Amino acid sequence: MVAASDFKGRDVITVGDFQRDEILFLLDAADRFEKGHASPLAGAVVATLFFEPSTRTRLSFESAVGRLGGQCIGFAEAGVTSQTKGESLTDTVRVVEGYSDLLLIRHPKEGAARLAAEYVDIPVVNCGDGAHQHPTQTFLDLYTIRREVGRLDGLHVVFAGDLRYGRAVHSLVTVLALFDARITLVSPGFLRLPEEQLDALESLGVSYGETEALEEALPDADVLYMTRVQRERFTDPLEYERFKDAYRLDLEMLTHAREKLAILHPLPRVTEIAPEVDARPHAAYFRQAHYGVAVRKALIALLLGRADEVLR
Amino acid sequence: MNTEKSYAVPKLHSGTVIDHLRARTALRCLQVLRLPETTRVTVGINLESGRLGRKDIIKISDYELRGDQAAKLALISPDATLSIIRDYKLHGKHDLTPPLRFRGLLRCINPACITRSEPVRGSFIVLSNEPVIVRCEYCERSIDAADFIWAK
Repeated sequence: MVAASDFKGRDVITVGDFQRDEILFLLDAADRFEKGHASPLAGAVVATLFFEPSTRTRLSFESAVGRLGGQCIGFAEAGVTSQTKGESLTDTVRVVEGYSDLLLIRHPKEGAARLAAEYVDIPVVNCGDGAHQHPTQTFLDLYTIRREVGRLDGLHVVFAGDLRYGRAVHSLVTVLALFDARITLVSPGFLRLPEEQLDALESLGVSYGETEALEEALPDADVLYMTRVQRERFTDPLEYERFKDAYRLDLEMLTHAREKLAILHPLPRVTEIAPEVDARPHAAYFRQAHYGVAVRKALIALLLGRADEVLR
Repeated sequence: MNTEKSYAVPKLHSGTVIDHLRARTALRCLQVLRLPETTRVTVGINLESGRLGRKDIIKISDYELRGDQAAKLALISPDATLSIIRDYKLHGKHDLTPPLRFRGLLRCINPACITRSEPVRGSFIVLSNEPVIVRCEYCERSIDAADFIWAK
């Protein structure tokens, strides 16, 4: 049986650090925090160390902390930090540990949050480390699916777009194994899910298929997870130009979709979802961004051992 | 009756014998050992072996391997044995077994891994001995033995 105290002081580096029951406990807690108005973080200081740009993740964390009565300090790009003077990440986090109760870190290098967590005693939350992992995005994705579809178990989830570099996809695709999902991967060959991820799916016994045609996968999908082709992950701009418009979801394609289909997107969106789709009930991506605040409120309060007041 | 055994690689007075190396791994092993330039080394490749079918062997004169060197060999050829010889006598014999988890020895091959840009040693979990595959504990990239980059 999972208890709030199981979360206190923990690091959140990959989704693999959490069991199914713990994830469900967090989602239940997020339900309570979505409605709650208490200030359990009064007096707490949370540091946001964003070495790479972010809008949604950083602002939704700052909103979550602010709404719980805590305070955020930090930076939103590496250019304003001592990293430009040659300071190592491990030095930076050891300094900031003295200023705060919890570290939120986004970094372009894979494994950065794991390394940071080894050097400090306060909880570290990975807010994205290169193309590797983004666990709080996964938690809010699961929360969104449960809110929109009404359940998590036994769903057919279609991922489309850049599955090679999309860390939100990498995190979510493996955790769906815990919920007996059927998965369809839609991407051009160059942007396929990495072999390691495919191997992981096989070893977890996940039923999955691959196709390049979104139209084929869409009709019996419960969830469509669209992603942007990320210009910043390509070393060759010509490759980016080739694939940037690989998919575009429009109203015509949705005529073949299930009535209860939920369309998720980690945002930002560029051209992969036509704006006219936004008005359809399927379009859950803006609500998804909003749910992020509730999930992050619950997570931070749990990690700091301050969730009892809201969960009671 | 002559009972003396015939050796494909001559007997060693003192030093280290690395036996039962997987066939055709001896040269790679020598590369990672980084022995002093003047060290006398005898190598046998593709020798007959009852246990392995074919095997390699390395005999290093007047040099006893350190623990970190033995650990590297264990990652290349997990079935090897290492014997320390002093004055023609066996002074110690060990089976080389890869550790379940280790620090240093390798560098992560992923250029985007944090360990490639921070002043820290890599940390790895051994996923499999046959074939040898390890995983970086930071970026979680799996690395086959053929792709190893050895730490200096």
